[in-house]
Amino acid sequence: MTSSEAKTARAEWGTRFGFLMAMLGAMVGAGNIWRFPYVMGENGGGAFVLAFLALLFVLAVPGLMAEVALGRYTKKGVIGAFRDVLGRGGLVGFGVVVLLVNVALMSYYSPLIGWTLYYAVHSLLFTFTASGFEAVEFMDALFANSALMIGLHTVVMGSIAAVLILGIRRGVERLVVYAVPALVIALVIMTIRGLTLDGATEGIAFTFGVQWEYLTYSDTWIAALGQALFSTGLGWGIALTVGSYLREYDDVPLGGGVFTAIGESSIGILAALAIFPVVFAVGLEPDAGAGLAFVSLVQVFPEIPLGGIVAILFFVGFFLATFTSGVVITEVGVTTLAEETRFDRTQTTLGLCGVIWLLGLPSAYSADILDYLDFVFGNWGLPLATLAIIGVIGWAMGPERLRLLAVNRNAGIFVGRWWNPVIKYVVPAVMIFIMAYYAYDSFGTAEMYGGVAVLVGLPVIGYVVMSIAEGGERGGGGESEPTDVTGGDD
Amino acid sequence: MALTAEVLGMLAFTLAAFWGIATWALVRTMRQESRKVALLEQQDRIDTYSPKALAQLREWVEANPEDPLAEEARERYNECLDALEETDSQFYDWSEEDIQSLERL
Repeated sequence: MTSSEAKTARAEWGTRFGFLMAMLGAMVGAGNIWRFPYVMGENGGGAFVLAFLALLFVLAVPGLMAEVALGRYTKKGVIGAFRDVLGRGGLVGFGVVVLLVNVALMSYYSPLIGWTLYYAVHSLLFTFTASGFEAVEFMDALFANSALMIGLHTVVMGSIAAVLILGIRRGVERLVVYAVPALVIALVIMTIRGLTLDGATEGIAFTFGVQWEYLTYSDTWIAALGQALFSTGLGWGIALTVGSYLREYDDVPLGGGVFTAIGESSIGILAALAIFPVVFAVGLEPDAGAGLAFVSLVQVFPEIPLGGIVAILFFVGFFLATFTSGVVITEVGVTTLAEETRFDRTQTTLGLCGVIWLLGLPSAYSADILDYLDFVFGNWGLPLATLAIIGVIGWAMGPERLRLLAVNRNAGIFVGRWWNPVIKYVVPAVMIFIMAYYAYDSFGTAEMYGGVAVLVGLPVIGYVVMSIAEGGERGGGGESEPTDVTGGDD
Repeated sequence: MALTAEVLGMLAFTLAAFWGIATWALVRTMRQESRKVALLEQQDRIDTYSPKALAQLREWVEANPEDPLAEEARERYNECLDALEETDSQFYDWSEEDIQSLERL
């Protein structure tokens, strides 16, 4: 590990808008487009909205405030931030856990971005509105063509590397300030087109019809909880990393908390309005996941006026949503490794993107492997990362300290003491519940064993790696001394 | 198919709750940013805490003088106090009486 003093001054977001769009760009991904609308419609519509909104305000908004604040406070990536709070030693390995989860997440997310790229390109070629086009055969042909899938994965990781090499302002910020508004505009135009079709009201009724009894079903709350936590990217190190580039006088809670959580979810609502009216207007059944985006919707475009243009708007917007997420997720590793190693940003970016490309080959080769990894890391890896970050804030740094020193400093809204127990008790308890629930739900399956391997293996790897690395540096006059704040403050 | 009043009501509520709040937060934070930039161009520094937040910071330092982060908290408190005393315009809603009543830690 080298001192970051030897490197250039830390970058900052050039504008407030750049920071906000980076947060949205990171959090808005495939889940907003192909999962949220269907989950909403299937779980009571308006009843789901109420449950989801309540959980956003109780969990996601306070949690994101905490994560961004820790990044702004330490001005470091995940490992450096953990070290600042915990002091040197093996426990800093929980930062390694967050890093590894991000790398694993990107390894299977990159091939998925490749799918959206492929469909975006074909939308520009008006393939979907050509005569004789068959949606299912088209998708099956893509998934069966391993060389093409690997090629798309390669193009995606190469493009992400190219953006990241340019840096925070010239690369990431310059991309997101155009890509995120472009996504919103594309969905708005598609919504207007959809709502003006005959039969569109059925889609609205499916999505926004209120079935109050769903509020009494545990499945509704589990679905809302999963959406509130996974869609907002809480505790994955993304908000911490993006927050670490905030400027001295920037606010944390209004932009990093309220705007990010609610704005990100608003795009899911917009996607519901954009997608289901057109799906119902042509008499198709709604679906979730790849089936919705790559089969149902694709069958819609030839049936509606200006379908070719709508297809371009949708798939280019979809690609932008996934690509910006991929860029910022990879930035988590780039920021951390550039700080923690002797490599500069360019070398780190190339090395990390190369590793992710390599690890992503199995997922690019087989959609089944991608599904398996998505299930294992989605259900256990990501909650583990969240538990690590929120646990460090709640039980080592102490929420009261962070609230007073970082959250309320230069803040756009005042955050009161109610925030402390939410961070210390509620969010960690919910993450443990989620992991236990999925373990119970998948008991005895290959997915559960994979989850156990993640839950046990990653912390052990992290602890050993940092014990060796930190131990080797103790006598070396490293820059960071233990801050002696362990134990929390309340 | 005609939409029921309940569906339309939920649609309106959802748009207001999500897009309304998101737009409010975006506009508010961008306006605050503009104001901060304008103040910083005029006077080089701005107050860093609201009256309520600064009072809670002081309360915490006084209650936890031996805390490992107490010194940092003191510095942040005094930094805000200095900014309030040395600048003519404040970002937060400080009255002259509020500022006069503050004491260094």
